[in-house]
Amino acid sequence: MNSALTVEHLSVHYSLPTGGLFRRRPLTLKAVDDVSFDLRAGETLGVVGETGCGKSSLGKGVLQLVKPAAGRVLWEGRDLCTLTPGELTSVRKDLQVIFQDPLSSLNPRMTIGEIVAEPLEVHFPELGRDERRRRVDAMLERVGLRPEMRNRYPNEFSGGQCQRISIARAMISEPKVIVCDEPVSSLDVSIQAQICNLLRDLQRDTGIALLFISHDLSIVRYMSHRVLVMYLGRVMESGRREEFFGAPRHPYSQALISAVPVPDPDRTPAERSLVLDGELPSPLDPPSGCVFRTRCPLAVPVCITQTPVLSEAAPGQLVACHRWEETRKGAGP
Amino acid sequence: MTPVIECEQLNVRFRTDSGEVTAVSDLDFSLNAGECLGIVGESGSGKSQTFLAMFGLLAPNGMASGSIRYRGTELLNAPRSALDDLRGNRLAMIFQDALSGLTPTMRVGDQMAEVLMRHQGLSRRDARTRIIEALEVVRIADPERRFAAYPFEMSGGMRQRVMIAMATLCRPEVLIADEPTTALDVTVQAQVLRLLDGLKKHTGTSLVLITHDLGVVAGLCDRVLIMYAGRAVELGPVREIFRRPAHPYTQALLRSMPSLNIDPGQDLPVIPGQPPDLENLPGGCAFASRCLHTLAACGTGRPRLQTVGAGHARACHLPA
Repeated sequence: MNSALTVEHLSVHYSLPTGGLFRRRPLTLKAVDDVSFDLRAGETLGVVGETGCGKSSLGKGVLQLVKPAAGRVLWEGRDLCTLTPGELTSVRKDLQVIFQDPLSSLNPRMTIGEIVAEPLEVHFPELGRDERRRRVDAMLERVGLRPEMRNRYPNEFSGGQCQRISIARAMISEPKVIVCDEPVSSLDVSIQAQICNLLRDLQRDTGIALLFISHDLSIVRYMSHRVLVMYLGRVMESGRREEFFGAPRHPYSQALISAVPVPDPDRTPAERSLVLDGELPSPLDPPSGCVFRTRCPLAVPVCITQTPVLSEAAPGQLVACHRWEETRKGAGP
Repeated sequence: MTPVIECEQLNVRFRTDSGEVTAVSDLDFSLNAGECLGIVGESGSGKSQTFLAMFGLLAPNGMASGSIRYRGTELLNAPRSALDDLRGNRLAMIFQDALSGLTPTMRVGDQMAEVLMRHQGLSRRDARTRIIEALEVVRIADPERRFAAYPFEMSGGMRQRVMIAMATLCRPEVLIADEPTTALDVTVQAQVLRLLDGLKKHTGTSLVLITHDLGVVAGLCDRVLIMYAGRAVELGPVREIFRRPAHPYTQALLRSMPSLNIDPGQDLPVIPGQPPDLENLPGGCAFASRCLHTLAACGTGRPRLQTVGAGHARACHLPA
């Protein structure tokens, strides 16, 4: 199978200035630490994890919206991390992004026609005005908006419609990959399903690959072919949807899945779920060894001293846990 | 069952530059002692404004009419002094955004102490002891130190638990939780829901849980009120609502919700169209333009809540 995008050992670090009278060394926050994956054409890779796990930074690092500290992002034989800004612009035609907050990611002073046309002006300057207009209208229609709306401004649209505009803007340059960073999290339940289905339709029609970042496991399960779980910047587990949701191996994955409220009044979450105690440790001072050990019900002394490496628990299923072979005996969903 | 809260014919309107917007229309419901009532609806359904009106916290351009009574005492448009004796004491509210629900420039312990000093006349020292106990109950690690922390020094989950601890300091009879877990991660959400469930079971507090997440409702609530465009569209016991939803909107919501049980190979059924524009509500049923089965009557007459089963009512023109 051909990989659309290969990410190898990617790390994204932020350096935080330290305040106070005495200048100390700047602190380094390892938002993404040694993450590798590949994304194939026509596939959706779901990235899940809690606030601060580095999933958004991963998306930004892949797109070079922040400069990765280490690692490679291979796209059509080139490492994006080594490209000049000019070269990156030409690559952005193929790699697009959709953000969480649909209204704030659209320029309020541009009409939606102008917003959707802009990528065409940058990436296809040879197109004439009429052809550009024709493509914008077709794209607006494709995402479920009426072409007559092209002269209106973003503030005249609801959240769901704004997200359709963002999708139209991302799709118009005919990209191969779209990074979707929490694309439906700010939308009402009835609108979430519309946008999810639209993204799936577009993927079926165009074979586009999606890196789908979300904290909502139900939506990730619906959208993704494969799943990557992150915790404090590191990959805990990755695998195909069926295996991941059917038989999660990492204790963190099990806790995440069992914490999802089930819409069934006969199964009360208080009895059912494996509730994680404690707080997420500070990413500035992550625990030694396994970063999850401070909240892990299975932690043993080796978890303090040794960082677990990703090992293959089943074909295609990678788990970073010293005790994954015992997790099935422990609590599960 | 004795109702603790009775709401009758509540209307909430806002004056805006472009005219009057109706946020809540002719709403009737009651909250029984010791029960958890879920209020479900999307943005603009009026679910939050209902309780802001009850607490006298509507925005200055908002007006409420009708009646909301707590054990017979009228709360709606009651004088501030009367409300102050009840709010934070017998009636408490937890807001969605815990950062804006806490005063940023006050230490967490001090703002919690204010509640006990105001309502129970405790000394600062006694209040401190009670607060540290309350923080322990919500599983805040190292409560002595957290007492002196400012809200910004805490994580979102911790602040939300502080809000719960603060809301429950005086053992309120009624606790309104407005999307208490929406801004939280699933694992923290599970912690908070377990706390609320424990509170209901152990202290007999009546709970109103405002949410858009039917999964949360299923786990915690006894009865559910579904709202759409400021009106009640369905009210019933939680099992009835999930097993035999009677209103097309409820049915569509349940179908379109992604859960861990759906088949990812099939497309999610959607509710077509957009949520209603409250400034231009249609004359008939507000859901008619998105409904799968509409009759001529849906475009003209507003449906009223009518009983369809034991304790189960819906507002719909379709034959039951």
